This record gives sequence, structure tokens and C-alpha cells, in this order.
Amino acid sequence: MVMTGTLLSVRDVSKNFGDVEALKSVTLDLNRGDVVGLVGGNGAGKTTLLRLLCGLYKPSVGGVVFIDEGGDEHPVHQVRSNLGVVPESTGLYARLTAWENIRYHSRLNNIPDKQAWNRTVRLARALEIEDELQRPTRGFSRGMRQKTALIRALAHDPEVLLLDEPTGGLDVTSARRVRELVRKLGEEGRTVIYSTHQLNEAEQVCDRIVIIHNGTLRADGSPDELMNNTNTKSLEDAFVSLTQDDSREVDAPEPESKFQQLWSKLTTRKQPPTGGEDNA
Amino acid sequence: MRDSLSRIWSVSSKELLDIIRDWRTLVALVLVPLLIFPLFFIALPLFLQGEMAELDQYELNLEVQLSTGDTMPDSLIQPFENSNLNYSVTVLDSGLENLSVNGGDGERIRNGQPHVILRLRETMTNSSESWDYAILYDATSELSSEGYYRVRSIIQMWESEIINETLAESNLTRSEALDPIHWDGDVGEANVATSGQSAGLALSMFIPMIVAIWTASSAIQPSVDLTAGERERGTMESLLCTPTRRVELLYGKWVAVGVVAATSVLFQMVGLLFAVAFLMPPDTFGIPSLTAWSVVSLLLSVILFAIFVVAIELALAVRAHSVKEAGTVLGPFVIAFIIPAMFAQFVNLEGIEWWWFVAPIFNVCLAMREALLDITDITHIALWLTSSLLYAVLAVTWAAKQFKREDLVESLS
Repeated sequence: MVMTGTLLSVRDVSKNFGDVEALKSVTLDLNRGDVVGLVGGNGAGKTTLLRLLCGLYKPSVGGVVFIDEGGDEHPVHQVRSNLGVVPESTGLYARLTAWENIRYHSRLNNIPDKQAWNRTVRLARALEIEDELQRPTRGFSRGMRQKTALIRALAHDPEVLLLDEPTGGLDVTSARRVRELVRKLGEEGRTVIYSTHQLNEAEQVCDRIVIIHNGTLRADGSPDELMNNTNTKSLEDAFVSLTQDDSREVDAPEPESKFQQLWSKLTTRKQPPTGGEDNA
Repeated sequence: MRDSLSRIWSVSSKELLDIIRDWRTLVALVLVPLLIFPLFFIALPLFLQGEMAELDQYELNLEVQLSTGDTMPDSLIQPFENSNLNYSVTVLDSGLENLSVNGGDGERIRNGQPHVILRLRETMTNSSESWDYAILYDATSELSSEGYYRVRSIIQMWESEIINETLAESNLTRSEALDPIHWDGDVGEANVATSGQSAGLALSMFIPMIVAIWTASSAIQPSVDLTAGERERGTMESLLCTPTRRVELLYGKWVAVGVVAATSVLFQMVGLLFAVAFLMPPDTFGIPSLTAWSVVSLLLSVILFAIFVVAIELALAVRAHSVKEAGTVLGPFVIAFIIPAMFAQFVNLEGIEWWWFVAPIFNVCLAMREALLDITDITHIALWLTSSLLYAVLAVTWAAKQFKREDLVESLS
């Protein structure tokens, strides 16, 4: 039986890195079985929100909680075995085989090797990399790495899957395979949070779109709802309409120490004047 | 608790598997430490012999300057010829204040014409024969220095002959004149220290330093790879998304780095003891005689030191965003271990002040020295054991704090 109700709750969360406010007062409930597309431009705050959702970052203000089937709330970092995460970099160990990479994370999730292996084989078959499981990942293509990371995230059968740009750099066929798997996981009732800046991809895979822009949540709803609310005929137009102010190109910067700030100031050359009337 | 230990073991075993798969790391941390001393003990004497033989082959120009009226001593002619010295005789400048004043001859020697000058002036004494001499040479020129050593050696043999002749004229032997008070029997036999104790003393002069320096340096590469390397390659983020607590991650990585560093030190010690036992001239070193407590003490000091060092290196490396940044920090950091480890070799153990056994790095080096000398001083043991434990706990606490940094998921790439 597929459970319903809120699984992850983001409550008025702000996240600051030094003087930069990467997320501002974001409130969001993610329900069981939702396949949510987290859409935004570069530096919008998608990765920061994903890292808050998996408990890698602590909110500066507010909180992120995981709500279990009994309705009890837990800080998200305490229930990481319920999460499967595929970060943008995939994070595979080059000298280990695909299976060894998957087994490592399964062991850290306290899953017996045999159980992890059976599940790995099933997923590898679906993603057509069954024959590559015993090969070191050093020579893997971007697509194979992405698929391996996806299997690794799913091998412990998590309730929530968080994917950061899962089709970035993939060829058409591999990207389609990944999208098909995500759709299938959604149909099985699993919660998926799918971060992307490809609007058509989000539209194909997700039944709910959350638009993040300049660290703020600009919209949350189905693709049709977003188009209706903005009186537009495509998701792209809806996105443009919702994000018309200046975009920023800021990734979560880490705070610099006073000494680092002073040293950077001393060692950074000022840009020379670039011609034009002022220099005449 | 069981889950926690299981995760720590998973992290350690994965890290060790990853390290074993990298042949470069194995060469650097196992093969090099194992072979460095045997190769050093074999290669260095061979190299030095080769270089000396090469210098012996050179024919060198020697100018012998004699006072007017003096003739070249016969005792020197044959040895000069046998030593590849082409000599020519000229007249000594009579205006010199003493024979060492080089005057214009200095420039000629610097130009290599000749390589060396021997100045001789016969003097009148009660001896059968008596001369003043000086050898002019350029200490910065290998050929001139070689010429100096050859001439000096010949002069010393000549002097010895003159002494013998003078003594013979007075019906004395060399031993009677120069060694009227002499040691009876074998000097070594009179030393009450056993060969094992002597070996312990000799080894205590450098083993603690080697252990301290090698522990610190061999832990650098794995520490950097397992922390800053993970951040740079982007594997840290996915690892931190697992239920593994940060402190479990630290312990898991600490065990892996500790095993690598300990293996490296162990292999180096095996190589060193092999070289000492089989490659050095006989009677140079023996095998130290250690009691069970000395061995335990030695191992305990190394283990506590390793906990301290590895935790500090992991903490420093994990703060870095890239391997390059971590290397820049940890490279010079080893100097902080080398200097106290070197100084600790020269601290007098007799009447030593208590605080030496509390000072970081000094305490373990001195503990190792005492263990090798089979000294059991309860106060010293209590001091170094407590202080080492304290430093290890502080280092691990600081490392745990660094592993909890929020920016651990970020990397320059």
C-alpha cells in the first residue's frame, strides 16, 4: 500500500554563507510519492536546498524535518538511511569496481552484501550496465558513472531519492534511461526530488515543479498549474515570467577568514580600464 | 554501538582496499621504507669507494719549493712518483715571513698551475734531520685538495721515518719513546656493558628520530588522499549523505592511515635492522637486548605518537579543499616534528628534568630512547604516558571538530 502525507518538511528555512543569503525563507512540504522537479538557473539555490534536505547543511533559520509513517518528526541528518542521494559529481571511487562502490554505501547503510547484490543486479539490468558491475569505474563514461551512482543511491531501498542534475552530460539514450527509471520509481510510490535546469526534462519526469530563483521559492505546483497561474502556454514561458528579475551567478560560497579576506584583497589585481570614452 | 563499529570498519577496509589498489602508494609507503637503508648501506660505501678511486687516477702537478742550498730529500722522491704526483723543484722565496704566506703562489694554485705547492726549509735541531714545511692548496678545488692529502700523507710517513731514525740513534724504540703508558689487553674487553646494551645505546641515538620523522611523513600522503583528495574528487559529498556519523568517518579513516603509517615505519625498521645486522662492518652494531617491558614501552610510545600525529594530519588535511592545498599545509608541517625529534637525540638522560617527558614529540622520542637503553623510570613512564594520552585525546577531539565542518561537502572543483 502506498502511504501518503508529508515526508519531508522545509519550514521557513534560510541559509546564509557569510554575507550571502543563499536561501531566503523557503517553506515546502514534500509528500510521499511526489516526484518533484527542483528547477532554477545556475546559482539559484537548488544545490543548497538539496544539501539542506539531506542534512549536509544546517539551516541558518528554520528547520528541515523527516516525518515518519507514525507522524513522528526527526531531524533529517538522523534518518539518512531513508535517503538516497546522487550528487552532481556522482562521487565514485575510481580504483573500486562499480559493485564495490555500491557495496561500500550499502554497508554504511547496514544492508547485508547479499541483499545489496540482489537489488544491484536488478537495477543494473534495468539501466543496462549489468556487465559493468565488476569493472573499476576509472574507465566509465559519464553515463555509466551516473547510472552506477543511481544504483548506489537505491541499493538500500530508501524512501526518498534526491538527484542533483542526474542527466547532466549524458547522451540522449542514457538520459532517457535515467528518466524512465525515475518515472518508474515515482509510479512505485517513491518520493523523488529531481534538481535540474532543463524545463522540458522536469516536465517529462515530474508531476510537481518547484521553481527556485535567487534563493527564494517562486512557484510550486504541477506544470499545468504553473502555466495557468502565469497565463503562459509553455513551462519555459512560465519560468521566464516567474524569474524576470536579475539572476545571480552565486554558488554557496564558503566564508573566508579575516586573514584570507585581507590576503585576497592584497593579491587580487584590479581590472585595468577597458577603453571607451572615460579613458579618452 | 555495533552499527557504529561496523561502519567504522567499512570505512577503514574500503580505504585500505583503495590504497592497496594504488601501486604508487605501495611503492612509496612499503617498498621505499623497506629498501632505503639496505640500499643506503650498500650504495653509499660503493659510491664513496668509486669516487675515491676516480680521484686516485688523476696525475697532479706538485711544485716543491726548496731554500737555496737545500736538496730534495731522497725519502720523498719515490713516494711522489708512486702517488701520481708530477713534481718540479723551484727555489723558495727567501723573503717570506713564514712558509704559509702564499704571496703570488695563491693565484697560480687557484688557476691549477700547479695543483699544490710544498715548501721545505731544512732547520738545525738535535734530531737526525729537521725541516720546516707548508703545503699550499685550494680547499675549494677537488684536485688541489686531493694533492694536499697525498703530499700530507707522504710527509707524515717521512716524519715517521725521521723519528724512528732519531730514536734508534738513542737506542730507543718508538713504543718506548711515544707510548710509555700503555693499555694492557683488549679495550673492548674492559667495557662492562654487554654488546646488547651497547647496541641499544647506539640505536637509541637515531631510531627514535627516524620513527618520529617517518611516522609523521608517511601519514601525510594517505591523510591528504583520504580527506582533501575525497573533497577534490567529489566523493566526500556522497559519503556524507550516508548514515555514517562524521566522527565514525574520522575513526575509520584514522585506522586506515594509522595502519599505513605503522606498516611503513615497521618496514623501515626491518630494513634498518637488516642493514645493521648484515650490511655494516662486523662489531659496528649488535642486536639490542630489550626486556619485555622495554618492547611494550617502545610500542606504546609509537602507538600513542601515531594517534596524535595521524589525527592532527587528518584534521589539517580535511580543512583543505584540494590535494594541492593540503600538501602545501602538511609539507612544512613535518618540520615541526623533525626539529624536536632531532633535538631529543642530544638531551642528556642523566639527571634529566621531568618536563622533557611532558613536552610534545620530545616525550615520545625520550621514551623510546629510555626503552632502547632498558631504563625503567616509573616517574618518566607515568609522565610520557599521561602526556601522550592527553595529546592524542586533544588531537582526536580537534580532528573530530574539523570533520564536523559544514563546508566539508564543498571542493574547489
